[in-house]
Amino acid sequence: MKQTSLPLKLYKPERALRKSIFQHRYLYFMLLPCIVFFVIFAYIPMGGLLLAFKEYKFNKGIMGSPWVGLEYFKTFFNSYQSTQLIKNTLIISGLKLFLYLPFPIILALMFNEIRSKWFKNVSQSILYLPHFISWVVVVGLLQRILAPDTGLLNIAISNMGGDGSTFFMMDAKYFYQIMFGSHLWKSIGWDSIIYMAAISGVNPDMYEAAKIDGASKLREIWNITLPSITPTIVILFILSLGNILSAGFDQLYLLRTPGNMELSDILDTYIIRTGLQSGQYGYATAVGLLQGLIGLILVIMANRISRKVSDTSLW
Amino acid sequence: MNKNWAKYFAIPLVGVLLLAGCTNGNNNKAEPTQSGTPSVVPEGKPATWIADRKIKGLIFMGTDDYTEDMNPEIKERIKKETGIDYEIEIMKASRSIDGLIAGIAANDLPDFIAFYLNNSGRKEMPVVLKAAREGMFTDLTPLLKDTKVYSKYLQDDFLPLDTKYGVMFRPEFNGSTYFAHMNINREGGYDSNKYVSGPYIRKDIAEALNIDPSTIKTSEQLYELAKKIKEGKFKDNNGKEVTPIGPGYWGSDGRRDWGFLFTDLMWGAEDQRIKQTKDGKVLHEAETEYAMKKVEYFQKMLKEKLISPELFTMDESRSSEGAINGSWAIIADTHNYQDYNQDLHYLPLGPLNSVDGDYQMQVNFKSGYAAWAIPSTTKNPADVAKFADYLASKEGKLLWKYGLEGRDYTLDKDGNPLVKQEVLDLLASNPNEAKKLGFKGVNNSWGEILGSTDNHNMADFGEMEYGDKLKNDQRGQKAIDFWKWEEKRKNAVIVDGYTPVSFLGEFNKGTELKAALDNYNDSLIRAYYSKSLDEAKKVLESALKQMRAAGLDDYLKLVGDKNADPKTKVLFNPSH
Repeated sequence: MKQTSLPLKLYKPERALRKSIFQHRYLYFMLLPCIVFFVIFAYIPMGGLLLAFKEYKFNKGIMGSPWVGLEYFKTFFNSYQSTQLIKNTLIISGLKLFLYLPFPIILALMFNEIRSKWFKNVSQSILYLPHFISWVVVVGLLQRILAPDTGLLNIAISNMGGDGSTFFMMDAKYFYQIMFGSHLWKSIGWDSIIYMAAISGVNPDMYEAAKIDGASKLREIWNITLPSITPTIVILFILSLGNILSAGFDQLYLLRTPGNMELSDILDTYIIRTGLQSGQYGYATAVGLLQGLIGLILVIMANRISRKVSDTSLW
Repeated sequence: MNKNWAKYFAIPLVGVLLLAGCTNGNNNKAEPTQSGTPSVVPEGKPATWIADRKIKGLIFMGTDDYTEDMNPEIKERIKKETGIDYEIEIMKASRSIDGLIAGIAANDLPDFIAFYLNNSGRKEMPVVLKAAREGMFTDLTPLLKDTKVYSKYLQDDFLPLDTKYGVMFRPEFNGSTYFAHMNINREGGYDSNKYVSGPYIRKDIAEALNIDPSTIKTSEQLYELAKKIKEGKFKDNNGKEVTPIGPGYWGSDGRRDWGFLFTDLMWGAEDQRIKQTKDGKVLHEAETEYAMKKVEYFQKMLKEKLISPELFTMDESRSSEGAINGSWAIIADTHNYQDYNQDLHYLPLGPLNSVDGDYQMQVNFKSGYAAWAIPSTTKNPADVAKFADYLASKEGKLLWKYGLEGRDYTLDKDGNPLVKQEVLDLLASNPNEAKKLGFKGVNNSWGEILGSTDNHNMADFGEMEYGDKLKNDQRGQKAIDFWKWEEKRKNAVIVDGYTPVSFLGEFNKGTELKAALDNYNDSLIRAYYSKSLDEAKKVLESALKQMRAAGLDDYLKLVGDKNADPKTKVLFNPSH
């Protein structure tokens, strides 16, 4: 009995795995570039995190530079800006995470209801396009549209009898609207794709059954479509939580003006400004590490909660 | 998280930590540098021969200022004369300093590097200083000793103070130097260009209002003028009403203060904001009444729509477009060498007085610009120094400033270059094609990087600028005459010294203070746009508090102490 059970326990799964790999060797081969990519561009750079605890010397490299312990973390938390930076980052990423979440879902639901294929294709393409426009161009456009006196919006306000001299970009009062609006315009089309894909996977028989039962369109969406794509929504949400302390560098760096800087200065822009542009690699790495760690903890927590509450989780 | 998951995550992480950690343990000690012992010229080679080798430079400066594409014929001539196969590469980065930091951190540098460095207060200085202190660069002192031109750097009276003690021969280096500061004129107070910079007013508007632009001496007079312009309802080329005061020709330019517009309210230079009071106390602008005076002035101008609200944010394309279309009655800052205004349809305004009183031109004894360094990993660094010396010699300068004899110029009876008319014609008709000829005169600037120093064009080539002898219409001359540049130059004071922020690199809280000073600049603009003077005051007080927390008081004391030492005299007034 022993002789027969041992090989089964020790060798069978391994042999099965090898066999499975060999059988699907082409699929594994296709996976290879992804693995190489992540090792080179994601895992190896992680080694640089050591810099958060070292005083970087140009000539000594990462390993040769002296240790400074938690010095940079202390400096950051002692900085007068840290509270404001964390607050700004959380507000902006919170807006992008929670407030933005339903918009691409609603758009995907709307697309799903369009019956004209031609119109659907054209409108989808129009909404995808902004994703490919760089933030530099988008903010350039915004500056022109929102310019005081000469901008499109101010001209419209002026034509309607209002004061056309509002400097939207320099006024903190309008910052969140501009930031969120431009993010929505740029991302909504692209982000709706994944929900479109999830919706297309819903079994059409369910809709047929609902129709027979006399369900309205809204009832179909509420009772069939949304529950069917919930796992996708939850997983994307959990993944987004990882970036809660990264509110989007490009957009914020470009939108930041002296007038709105009390709201627009975030950890990402701070890292670039005081860390990299001053050659303080260690300090910048420490702040970056904080962002990553908090993101990781949040993802793990959200995943656990999601697993307990529903059947959906990342792992 | 289960154990397997942790294992799968941890093993590769440990692996890559090891991998990454082991990279670049380049513990390269600064190798003892070779002294510049005179090499023996091989038989059959010219006296300018250096070595049969390649010299490559990595340039952390913009392609607008320098050129990496060289003309093959000129390259060949260099090779023939010196044996050097010269090549430069400009590292593209959105900001040159980002490229410089990344380049040095990568620790994979070619034979030499070059970077911007106006003075020891410029932001690149702490970066290259850190690199020098950590043994990244070769000591240039022994290499310069045996050169013909660069050996002047070792003379007592050749270098300006800031270049000598702030940039190159810093006391902490004990006679060594790790950077060669460039663009040092041969003679003190020598003007290579007659710049008329500052605000310019549209000529037709000045005439319509019967205003002599040179009578505008104070910010209050400028305000009155702007009001008159507003009331006059003048139009631009598109028929739209003009903005009385528009931004500078080059756009917001990093949110400058456009100090030219109200020099009588500017406490120190706009990029420094530190100045000494009459009783000898060194103060930052935030500690003076001028900060709020400026806020008050700006808020008044903005409220009455006398100034463009986008003065600090407008990009270059829009502001230049506005200047060309005549949309700004007054351009905040431009200069006389700009193509669009050679007919002087915009007249120079002012100059306005300073906080100390009447305007007086201030000319730097000599001022440096840009620098190069040789990494400690470079083999035979003496060859690089000799090659730089060759390019800085008259022969070298002739090559990179005027091109090839016969092809691009001839020599007159005095041995000075006489530019060929066809080259000037090509330059006028097809600048891009002309640039391919590969020398400074046609705007191809590869040679300046190592060769532009000990400059004296008139003595070397018999003319101030390339092709002056053939040019009928001298660029910028109309503005020079109108502004009475020569008269102002005669009464100018020649100064030499450090900028007030030159010592941030040696100040223990320098980085923190720099961030706080930058924050003040932003806060000031924020104050201009705040809803009330009280709100503005709070913004500025908060910025001052941050600067003080970052050691402003100690730094100002340090500046005062430095100013008391003749070797480190500080220049508190901006050079206009």
